[in-house]
Amino acid sequence: MSHFKNSTVKIDNEEKMAGLALFTDDLPAKDFLWCRPLRSNIPCGRVRSVNVPKLPKGYYYVDAKDIVKENVVNIIFSDWPVFADRRVNYYGETIALLIGPDKQKLEELARMTQVNYDEEVPNFKLKKSGIHKEFKKGDLESVSNDYDYTLTETFETGYQEQVYLETQGMIMWLDGDKITIKASMQCPYYIKNAVVRTLGCDPSKVRVIQPAVGGAFGGKEHYPSMMAAQMATAIVKIKKPLKMIFDRDEDLMYTTKRHPSKTTYTGYVKNGKLVGVKAHVQLNGGAYKGCSGVVLARALIAVVDCYSIPNLEIEGDVYITNTMPTAAFRGFGSPQTIFAFEMFIEHIAKVAGLDPVEFKLKHLVKQGEVTAVNGKFHDPIILPELVEKAMEMSDFKHKYALYNKPGSNRGIGFSCFLHGCGFTGSGESTIINAQLKLTKDKNDIVHLYTSQVDFGQGNRTTLKKIVSDTLGIPEEQVTHEAPDTDHTLSTGPTAASRTIIIVGYLCEKAAKHLKEIWKPGVEQEWIEPYVGPDYIHWDEDTMQGDAYPGYAWGVNVVEVSFDPVTYQVKVEGCWSTYDVGHAIDDRIVVGQADGGLAQAIGYGYLENMEVAEGRFRQKTLSDYIIPTAVDLPMMETELIDNLFAYGASGAKGCGELTFVGGAPALGHAIEMAINKNIYKIPANPEYLMEVMENEDH
Amino acid sequence: MKIIKFHLNNKPVVVRADPSMRLLDLLRIHLHMTGVKEGCGEGACGACSVLVDGVCYDSCLTPVANIIGKHVVTIEGFRNTKQYRRIADAFADFGASQCGFCTPGMILNTYALLKKNPHPSEEEVRIALSGNLCRCTGYNAIVKAVLEVAEKGGEW
Amino acid sequence: MVNHHIPSSLKEALKILDAHDCYIMAGGTDLMVVKHQRSGLLPNFDKDVCYISNLKELQYIYEDEKGVHIGAGTKYIDIQENNLVPDLLKQIIDELASPNIRNMATLAGNVANASPAGDSIVGLYLLDAKLELVNVHGSRIVPIEDFIFGVRKIHRHKNELIKEIFIPHHDDLNTYWRKVGSRAAESISKVTFAGGYELDDDKVTDLRMAFGSVSVTVVRDREIEKKYIGLTIDEIHEKADEIVEDMEKYITPITDQRSTKEYRLKVSKNILKDFLLSIE
Repeated sequence: MSHFKNSTVKIDNEEKMAGLALFTDDLPAKDFLWCRPLRSNIPCGRVRSVNVPKLPKGYYYVDAKDIVKENVVNIIFSDWPVFADRRVNYYGETIALLIGPDKQKLEELARMTQVNYDEEVPNFKLKKSGIHKEFKKGDLESVSNDYDYTLTETFETGYQEQVYLETQGMIMWLDGDKITIKASMQCPYYIKNAVVRTLGCDPSKVRVIQPAVGGAFGGKEHYPSMMAAQMATAIVKIKKPLKMIFDRDEDLMYTTKRHPSKTTYTGYVKNGKLVGVKAHVQLNGGAYKGCSGVVLARALIAVVDCYSIPNLEIEGDVYITNTMPTAAFRGFGSPQTIFAFEMFIEHIAKVAGLDPVEFKLKHLVKQGEVTAVNGKFHDPIILPELVEKAMEMSDFKHKYALYNKPGSNRGIGFSCFLHGCGFTGSGESTIINAQLKLTKDKNDIVHLYTSQVDFGQGNRTTLKKIVSDTLGIPEEQVTHEAPDTDHTLSTGPTAASRTIIIVGYLCEKAAKHLKEIWKPGVEQEWIEPYVGPDYIHWDEDTMQGDAYPGYAWGVNVVEVSFDPVTYQVKVEGCWSTYDVGHAIDDRIVVGQADGGLAQAIGYGYLENMEVAEGRFRQKTLSDYIIPTAVDLPMMETELIDNLFAYGASGAKGCGELTFVGGAPALGHAIEMAINKNIYKIPANPEYLMEVMENEDH
Repeated sequence: MKIIKFHLNNKPVVVRADPSMRLLDLLRIHLHMTGVKEGCGEGACGACSVLVDGVCYDSCLTPVANIIGKHVVTIEGFRNTKQYRRIADAFADFGASQCGFCTPGMILNTYALLKKNPHPSEEEVRIALSGNLCRCTGYNAIVKAVLEVAEKGGEW
Repeated sequence: MVNHHIPSSLKEALKILDAHDCYIMAGGTDLMVVKHQRSGLLPNFDKDVCYISNLKELQYIYEDEKGVHIGAGTKYIDIQENNLVPDLLKQIIDELASPNIRNMATLAGNVANASPAGDSIVGLYLLDAKLELVNVHGSRIVPIEDFIFGVRKIHRHKNELIKEIFIPHHDDLNTYWRKVGSRAAESISKVTFAGGYELDDDKVTDLRMAFGSVSVTVVRDREIEKKYIGLTIDEIHEKADEIVEDMEKYITPITDQRSTKEYRLKVSKNILKDFLLSIE
């Protein structure tokens, strides 16, 4: 019996529950040598020399001198070296790998290895811009001289760590002269391309296979490329099978996090309308740019969330600091600006003496309107319906009136938001060029090949279901194995909420074509290239045009109580409505909704990660706090269909959408409970104490 | 090294091991029970939960000396029971397992709870699972699944 | 060379302790964290280890006319579920660590570990708990506050073992407990406070206040408490700010990865005041 009308049990469900699924560290790896990174213990400086102790037989030291071709990790902007070469730019940067059979011995060797530095003064401030972007809409000048109210405010968001339950790990061995890799990952082709680039080898000499993956959330989008490039350099030198598994403390301290941000808005209200906004978005990119430019682009495109503001002047910078590089994490820049703008639009409404709820509703974007970057919202928008339903589910209006008074210590807030699905702009057709292969064997079993990684989202099941539904055959007649680059064409990375809107659409199209040519009992193959909507045009340099193939939408309502003795917040209720186009499988989409919102709530008030002298202070899961089962209430979610013309059965994306609105809905609720404005997340008790004690808030 | 005797999944086991070795390492590395997961190594996530004489321990903090003469059950043993099937079916029904890394620990803790308290309230379920971190589900589906299997009743 | 001793009786354990300087391993939930190196490696012990977790002789709870005796090997879970145990201690254990840890860890282990963030210690200070320490020659009784003297520092002779914790009866003591963690469960405390009072009509005949996590040890000052014993409830309410001020000198928290000293100080004072005003 299922509680979801259109849901099937996930392909890998039973093996995961029964402990049969093999994650990277579970794979048989007898005689594999351990790789132990030797890391920088200063944030910035020249490496004068490394004194490596005499290594026992069977132990190896691999560093930048062993690089075969290029000492860069292939990420969008490739400035991050595989091994630090003569200088280090952040605490924890990998200088070398110590390799050998005994982990204890490797620890001793690491302790005996002495790195001599010429230390330099590190920079931790947002002052050196590495990437700058700006754009305008309308004519801000015309409204900045003619307004009834104006307000300038700055909002800050902190680091966030993914805390996938399975830490980063990789094994690598030689199969003849072919490098074979299994790892905890999101993007098999990213890993493959990173190895090919650093070694300068033929792509046919690298094979990447996905084992079970225990969560990722963006954290395994780029970092595994780093590990792969390091280990590939080593395997070329020593020709032995290798294994590298991070302990939790290493994963917390030395892998990528969400970008901390600081966003300043100035808004102008005229005749009860927000007629203009000027904004500066500042992201801390850490020591290397990597994917930060694209993160900034997403942050800027979402700079006024799902609200229609005619005049904008927007700029943003990624700052280079001597800290751990920041990279992909569910939402990819938009949670930062959506939090900031949601808070700002309510604050400016209050300054203008207007009801913040009505003010927001009055500014919701409509179909046909111009986006922040002068593109067009081509498709139908059902935000008012989503709002109405969410308010009904949460009894919003009644509670709002009840709690909205000083001393109530109780609050309720709501956020409206959008998420652009797929890669920014025309990236799908210009950068990724996904190709999907569908074959049919003599027994009429259909085999689906994608490079999408199922790290818990259920996409292996969803994509398979699209194929079987389209072909009109039972699900058992379709296989969809985890990706293996030797058998799978690249359907692109598992990122950017593109899996369903792009790859799902490809699955549907390929299956339709296979159906047309279907001959029973005959082996057949169909390869489907991605062709997006032809009306999508995007100029990356000017940040102008249609930023995404399609948008998914949502509304979150969060209710909290507040303890004035300890300044602690308790989340009392969460209600959400989403337009993901159409849910192929309700249970899977609701699972994303629950998990995304939980992670966003943690981001909003619990998860605190600070840097002191370039090092993260929270090094364990006792210190970096994520929500437990008692920190969250039962969450309710409703999905409302709004079919997308370029999606499988009308489906858009949902992975990131469910994250982006949680923190501001929580933020609004907290503001009501404490009767003060907040400007920062996580809104932890330490910060709320400051707010309560400070008369200026 | 010392001789360590205990029962593992209802079979007697004798190993020679350093008594301070983590039970987690004995199970995963030496006895190949890879259903027991390491999530944090410091007792903060519950992924390494195993049953010891019927209650859940974090095997990452248990020196093997402490399980001498005890009955240890891992997911490899528990998955063959009717009780597992009932819990697993409810988990499947609600989508309580996503990436699956926390799931074996979550299932063992669910069993330990229901054995002690067959009809827990929502709050009791949340408290019983409060040491098992899950980053995928927000616990929603898990709590619902546990309440559902409890409501169906039956022997634990 | 580190040796591992697994005694099968208390007597044997004491002989081992008499002959060797040992870490004493009970549930392992503190020691296995402190000595942990990397996954797959043995904990990094620099001296012998004596394992007492399986000693049945140390696993008991009983009461006599003076109070409750809790054997050093008794796990939190068994304490939590025992009717003889004072409510305050149960309440503390309810919020302590995680369910799995409560299945493994012992109250005596928390005491011997002597972390300023050890929740149960706060309750034991408030309830005037005493420890019975034994060695091959005999035993001695020590009040808990004389046993712990710093962060992870205790007055245990190398050949001694905590045998039991004794909690005197407090039939008329009303207690108050507040743990401020970083989340609702499974958290290491930022501030803890246990309060206690007895009333004779509207007269406060006993008053106790103990803080955890705000100094190197748990903080309790009987002199300050005495100053206010004998006042009426109303007088205590009136003097709440004065009492807070008296206690403030003991609240000397630090800033670390879990919280700030400003927050810890402010919240400690808020809680103390909340406790005092709750007396009725």
